Amino acid sequence: MINCLLIKISYNSRGLPVRSYRTIHSHELMLGRGAECNVHLPDPRLSMHHAVIKLNDEGQPVIQAMNGELEVDGALIPGMVLTHGTHIMVGPYELRVEPAPPDVNLAISLALAHRLPDDFQDLKSRTHQPLKNASSFKRRLSIALAALIAVVFLGLPLLQILVPQVQTSMAELPFGFDRVWSPGRISPSHMHFGSQCVNCHQQPLQKVSDKACLSCHQDTAAHITDPALQKKAFNAAHRFVGTTRCAECHEEHKAPHPIAKQDNGMCVKCHGNIKVINPNSTLSNVHDFDSDHPEFKLTFKTGNNPQAITRIPQNEKARLVENSGLKFPHSQHVGKVQGPNGIWDVRELSCTTCHAAVGKEMRFTPLSFKNNCSSCHADQLTVGANELKLSVPHGNEESVFNMLKLNAPKQFSAYSDTLKTNGCAYCHNIVESKAGDAVPWRTAPLNVNDDWFSKAQFNHGAHRTQQCISCHKVEDSESSADVAIPDRKSCLQCHSGNKPKHKRIASNCMSCHNFHQAHRGDALNTGEKISDKDVDVLLSINKQPK
Amino acid sequence: MQRSNIFDYKNYLYFKIAALIILVAFAAYLVFEPAVGHYGGSFLGYGLGIISACMVLWMAWYGVRKRRYRSAGSTQGWLSAHIYLGTALTVLVTLHSGFHFGLNVHTLAYALLLIVVISGFFGNYTYMIYPRMMSENMGEDSLDSLLLRIAEADKLARQIALVMPDAINNTVARACRETSIGLGLIEQLKGYQPNCPSAQAVDDLTELGKDLSPEQRKLYRELYTIMVRRLSLVKRARQDLMYRSRLGIWLYLHVPFAIALLVAMTAHIIAVFVYW
Repeated sequence: MINCLLIKISYNSRGLPVRSYRTIHSHELMLGRGAECNVHLPDPRLSMHHAVIKLNDEGQPVIQAMNGELEVDGALIPGMVLTHGTHIMVGPYELRVEPAPPDVNLAISLALAHRLPDDFQDLKSRTHQPLKNASSFKRRLSIALAALIAVVFLGLPLLQILVPQVQTSMAELPFGFDRVWSPGRISPSHMHFGSQCVNCHQQPLQKVSDKACLSCHQDTAAHITDPALQKKAFNAAHRFVGTTRCAECHEEHKAPHPIAKQDNGMCVKCHGNIKVINPNSTLSNVHDFDSDHPEFKLTFKTGNNPQAITRIPQNEKARLVENSGLKFPHSQHVGKVQGPNGIWDVRELSCTTCHAAVGKEMRFTPLSFKNNCSSCHADQLTVGANELKLSVPHGNEESVFNMLKLNAPKQFSAYSDTLKTNGCAYCHNIVESKAGDAVPWRTAPLNVNDDWFSKAQFNHGAHRTQQCISCHKVEDSESSADVAIPDRKSCLQCHSGNKPKHKRIASNCMSCHNFHQAHRGDALNTGEKISDKDVDVLLSINKQPK
Repeated sequence: MQRSNIFDYKNYLYFKIAALIILVAFAAYLVFEPAVGHYGGSFLGYGLGIISACMVLWMAWYGVRKRRYRSAGSTQGWLSAHIYLGTALTVLVTLHSGFHFGLNVHTLAYALLLIVVISGFFGNYTYMIYPRMMSENMGEDSLDSLLLRIAEADKLARQIALVMPDAINNTVARACRETSIGLGLIEQLKGYQPNCPSAQAVDDLTELGKDLSPEQRKLYRELYTIMVRRLSLVKRARQDLMYRSRLGIWLYLHVPFAIALLVAMTAHIIAVFVYW
C-alpha cells in the first residue's frame, strides 16, 4: 500500500503558488486525464491513463509510463524509481518527490509547468498574412528583370558596337551580342555574313550606306547607261524621292519577302512625271501599265554591231519592217507541208519544230540552215540540165563561185544568173557586189533580230501555258519582213496594271522591267562592259565606262 | 443610385476614347499598307510606335501617381483611363509590330507588354468579382472574429475530449494545436490546405466514434458537431485569405514586368536608331 502525500501546486491570479495537500491511500496511484484516476489531471495533453506509481518488489515507489510519456531532462523513459529529489515531466506537469513527512511513505508535488496557450493568440500566430513579403518580392523581381534585360539587350550589344576590340574578337563567331537587335529574318543570300550586324551597319546611328552593299555587288549597273544623264537624273530625283540609297529599294530583314521592292511606288515617283527629272526626256509619263503605258518600241538591228539599233513604236506600223536578209514565209512552214520526196511525203510542222526553247526562261536557240532547214530542204542546189548538171553545196559565195569556175567555166555566167535569180535567191536576198569584189554578187548579210524588247524582259517560260499563235500571228505571214511581236493591247488581254482586273493579272513595272537596266554586264547603247566601282552607284556613275 | 465605378466613369468616357483609338488605328492599318507589308519601320509603324511609347510612359506614370496623395484628377478617373487606354495600347502595339515576331529585343518588349496587360486584366477581373464574394463569405464577420470563434470552439472541444478515449483526445488536440490558415503562397491562392488537421479530425472522429459507451456517445455527438462547425469556420477563414491573396497576386507580375517593359522598350528604341 502506498500512503502518499499529493501536493498540487497551482498559481493564483497574482502569479503566486498555492499548494493544496491531499493524502491518498491506495495500492497504486494512477495519473491521467480519466475521471477514474486517483490523481486526476484534467489536461488534454495527458492520456486517459498516463502513468502509474506503485511499489516495486523492494518496496520502493516507482513510476511507470502507461499510455503517456514520461520525460527526464528531455529524455523519454519507461519508468524510474522515485527517490527524494527526483523530478519528472508527466506531460505538461512537473512531478517532484518532496521530503516525506513521517506518516507517509511518499510525498510528491505536481505543478502545471506548461500552461495551455491562449487559443486565440495561438491560432492568430498560425494564421498567415496574405502575400507576405509581396513588396520585397516585387522589388527584387523588378530589379532582377530590369538588370537582366539592360545587360543582355542593351549593355552587351552596345559594348560590342562601341568597343572595337570586342567587335574584332567576336567577328568570327556565329553571331554577336547585337543579334538580339535584329528586327526580322535576313534574306537567304545575305545570311552567311548577316549574323554580324557590323558587316552592313558600319556606322552606328547612320543608315546602311551603299558602300556596304558595294563591297560585294561591285558590278551592279546603273539605272541609266549614259553616266552624265544618270548623275543628272538622280540628283533631280533626290529632291522628292528623298534618298537613292540601295536600301531604299532593297529592304533587308524582311525575309521571306523578296529583298527588292516589287511595287511601283519608287518607279512612278520619277516616271510619273519624267520631265521634272529631265526636261529633255523623250519618255512619256507612266503610272500604270493599263492606263498610260506608251506603245512598245521594238528594237530593230540596223547593222552588225550591238549599237546599230533603232527603236520603232508599234503604232507606226509602216516602219515595222524587219530586214533580215532572208525570204521566209511563215505561212508555208506551218501545219501540213509537202516534204522533199514528192506528194506522199507530207510533214506536219509546228512552231517548235524549228524554234527550240532552252532553259527555264525558254529562250530560243538561234536557227541555222544545218539544224533547221536541211531536214526538209536539200543541202545542195543543182544547176544546169542533163550532162551539164552541177550541184553546189550550201556555203559561202566564194566556194560556190570557185566550184562553178572549176567545173563549168563555160556556163559560169549562166549558172551564176540562175543562182542569183532562183537558186540562192529562193531564200536569200541578193546584193550586187561593189566594184573590185572577186564575186559578181553576194547574198545579203543575215540580220535576224533576237531581242525585240531590249528594255524589258519577256519570259517565255512564264507564258508556256499559252499557244505560240495566240501572241505571234504568223500563220498568214507571207513575208519575212512581217513583224509578229505582240503589242501592248495584246498583253492587256491577260494583264492589267497595278491592280488586278476581271480575268486579268496584275502587272507592275517590275514584271517586265529591271531597275538596273544594264545589269547584264553591258551597256545597252554602247555595248561596253560596265565596271564602275564607285560608292554611290546611282549618283556618281559619271565616268565613261572603261 | 449606384455610384459610378471605374468602368462607367463619366459615362464610359475612356471606353469611348479607347474604342476611337482602336478604330482609327485599324483604319490606318488597312489604308496605309506598305508594299512589303506592315512593319514597325514604315511611316505608319513609326507613328503607331511613337504613340504607343508615349502611352506606355503614361501608363507607368499611373503607378507613380497613385502613390502620391495629391495630384490632378480623381484616382477613379485615372484608373478608368489606365484600364481602357491600356487595352487600346495593346492593339496599337500589335499593329505596330505588323505581326512580325522573332527572337529579339523587339518581340521581348512586346511579350513583356502582353504579360503586363494580361496580368492587369486578371487584376481587373479579381476586383470585379472577389470583393462581392469576400463579403458573401464573411458576412458580418471579420477574420479576427472568425479566429475568435474558432478559438472558442477549440476550448469547448478540448473540454469535451478530456473525458474521451486517448485517440479522440489526441485527434482533437492535434486539430486545435496544428490547424494553420494560409500556410504558404500556393495554399493561400488555392484556398485549400492538403492534410488539414481540422478536416482530418472530422474524418477520424467519424471512424473513432463507433465503440463508445452510451454516456460517452452523447458527449461524442456534441464534440462531433463542434468539430464540424469548427472546420467550416476554418474553411471560411482560408477562403477569405484566398480572396485577399488573389486580389494581390497579379501585382507580382504587373509591377515587375512593367518595369522590365520600360527597360526593354528603351533597348528597343535605342537598337532601332543605332542600327538605323
